[in-house]
Amino acid sequence: MTERRIAVVSAGLGRPSSTRLLADRLSAATTAELAARELSSSVETFELRDIAHDIVNAMLTGFPAGQLRETLAEITGADGLIAVSPLFTTSYSGLFKSFVDILEQDSLNGVPVLLGATGGTPRHSLALEYAMRPLFTYLHADVVPTSVFAATDDWSGNGDQVNPLPKRIQRAGGEFADRITQRVGAHPTDPFQDVPSFEQMLRDT
Amino acid sequence: MSDILVLSGSPSTKSRTEAVLGELSQRLREHGHRVVEAPIRRLPANALVAADSADGEVRALIEAVSHAEGILVASPIYKASYTGLLKSFLDLLPQHGLTGKTVLPLATGGTPAHVLAIDYAFRPMLHSLGAEHVVPGYFLLDRLIEVSEDGVRIDAEAEQALMSVVDYFASALHRRARYAEAS
Repeated sequence: MTERRIAVVSAGLGRPSSTRLLADRLSAATTAELAARELSSSVETFELRDIAHDIVNAMLTGFPAGQLRETLAEITGADGLIAVSPLFTTSYSGLFKSFVDILEQDSLNGVPVLLGATGGTPRHSLALEYAMRPLFTYLHADVVPTSVFAATDDWSGNGDQVNPLPKRIQRAGGEFADRITQRVGAHPTDPFQDVPSFEQMLRDT
Repeated sequence: MSDILVLSGSPSTKSRTEAVLGELSQRLREHGHRVVEAPIRRLPANALVAADSADGEVRALIEAVSHAEGILVASPIYKASYTGLLKSFLDLLPQHGLTGKTVLPLATGGTPAHVLAIDYAFRPMLHSLGAEHVVPGYFLLDRLIEVSEDGVRIDAEAEQALMSVVDYFASALHRRARYAEAS
C-alpha cells in the first residue's frame, strides 16, 4: 500500500498560534485514523505566514513564481488537505483567502478537504459553514461533513461540554480518513500510463 | 455633505472594478458628498499580510475609514467571494470599526451565479464590523463593463440599476446627516 500524503495549511498569525495547534491536532487525528485503517501516512504542514509575501506577489502578478509554485503543487497534489484559518469579522482571514485566490480553478477537484477554524467565541462557529465551506465547494473539493471550530474556552476544557473539542476532532479525523481511503483509485494519477506504445499500435493495425 | 471612502479590493492594475468606481465616485460627488478613492493594492504588501497596522500608509487608511461616514466596499469576485486583498485590509480595522457608518457593497464578477456573494459573504462581514446601515448592494457583470481610452462604458440597463443603488446610498447619507443635525 502506498503511503497517503496529507497537506496541512495553517493561516495563523501568532507564534505560537492556536490555529496551528488545531491544525496539528487535526492532522494527528487523521494519521491515527488512517493507521487504524492500516494505512501509513505522512504529514506536511505549511504556515501561510511564512509564504505570505510570495502569495501577495502571485496575487498581484497573476501567477505563482519559483518556490511558491512547488509549494502549491505539493499542497494540491496531496491525498488530502487540512485547511485551518483564524476567524476575523466572522470570516476567514485575508491571508487565508489570498491563498485560496491564487489556487488554480481545478487544482482541488475531488480532493478530500477537512476544514478547521479558531476564534475567541463559539458564537462564530457557523462561519465555517457559511463562509469557509462555500469556497471549497466552489473549487469542487470533497469537503467532509464535520468541520472543527475551536474557541478559546475549548483549549482549557471549558468549552462545549456535550460535544467537547477532542471528540469533534476525532470525528472529523475519522470522516477525513474514510474519504482518503476511498480515494485509492484516484492515486497515483499518471495521464500517460494507459497510452499504448508505438510497437503495440503497429501490431494492432 | 458626508465623507465617503471608496475601498477597492482588486489586485489588478487594469481593474474594471476600479474603472467603474471612478464613475461612481463622480456620481456621489454630484450628490454633494466628499469622496476619496482608496485602492487597497496600493498599500505596502508586506505590511498588509503581516497585519502590521503600525505602517504609515496602512494606518492612514485605517484613519480614513474611521473618519468617513460612508464606505463603498467594492471587490471583484474570486472563488465565489470578496478577494483576500480586501479582507486583509478589513482584518486590520478595530473590532466594530464600521460602527455608525453607512456602507454600500459592490461586486464585479464573471457569472450571475455569484450574485448572492453580496448577501452571504459581504453583508455578514460588514455587519460584524458594526456597520449601522448596509444599503442594498449591486453585482455588476464583467462583460457589461467596457474600458477604453475614452473612459468606461457600462451597459445601459445595468448602469441604470447600478446608479439607482448609488443614488440610494447617497440619499441615505444625506438622511443620516440631517438626523444627526436634528438630534
